Amino acid sequence: MDREAEFRRLYEANRVAVHAYFAGRVGDRQRAADLMQEVFLRAWQHLDKVAALPDDGQRGWLFTVARNLSVDAARHQRTVDDAQRALEREPAVREAGATAPASTAVLAAERATVVAAAIATLPEQQRVTLALAAAGDLNSAEIGAALGVPAGTVRYRLSQARRTLAEALGDYDEPQEEQP
Amino acid sequence: MTLDDDLAAWAAAVRLPETDADAIFQRIIASPAAPVLTGRAAQARAPQLKASWWRGYNAGFAARMVASTAPARLAA
Repeated sequence: MDREAEFRRLYEANRVAVHAYFAGRVGDRQRAADLMQEVFLRAWQHLDKVAALPDDGQRGWLFTVARNLSVDAARHQRTVDDAQRALEREPAVREAGATAPASTAVLAAERATVVAAAIATLPEQQRVTLALAAAGDLNSAEIGAALGVPAGTVRYRLSQARRTLAEALGDYDEPQEEQP
Repeated sequence: MTLDDDLAAWAAAVRLPETDADAIFQRIIASPAAPVLTGRAAQARAPQLKASWWRGYNAGFAARMVASTAPARLAA
């Protein structure tokens, strides 16, 4: 397999999860994309070493780089400041492409804003775990391997996050169901 | 609407579009395969004199300074 094909395989197998990880950390899709690009750029530069690892090891290598990037002091400071604003901005992207009637689109946008704001208030560990599960399509064992924690810890964090969100969003659900 | 519906909608909004992912892939493979060192990292890898050269230089310099003051001491 040539170098580019090897890298494409690595990229396609892991980009969604790596991007979801950063989306959970920084909350902003575009900044998460920038960070994801940096992770895979390093993988491209060290492809000989990365490609020699088994699949689990490759993902572990990528997430080790991702975690190191995330704790970079200067970058982290910038991203934390933007997290709240970015999560609130995301629903606007969906609204722009929506084809549903205006009233439905407005309700959906409002709902998305509330959901994003609730997710933004979760503790970071829960938010990242939730992002890897919901947007990264990883199971508990895969998330645990990526984050370096047991699968049981992942399940606990997911449970806590879902409970917090259910409590936060429950009040919002009821008026919607009562409307004719 | 359930919590899973909300999370699915949030995930769909957060996920990177395929076109953006493809653009990132193309940018990466267009970059040099080996890391390009810049700034201080590049200076660190630049050819440098060995430490032993500096030790020899310093010793020689000190000897010349001492020797250069000998005529003055003799005159005094």
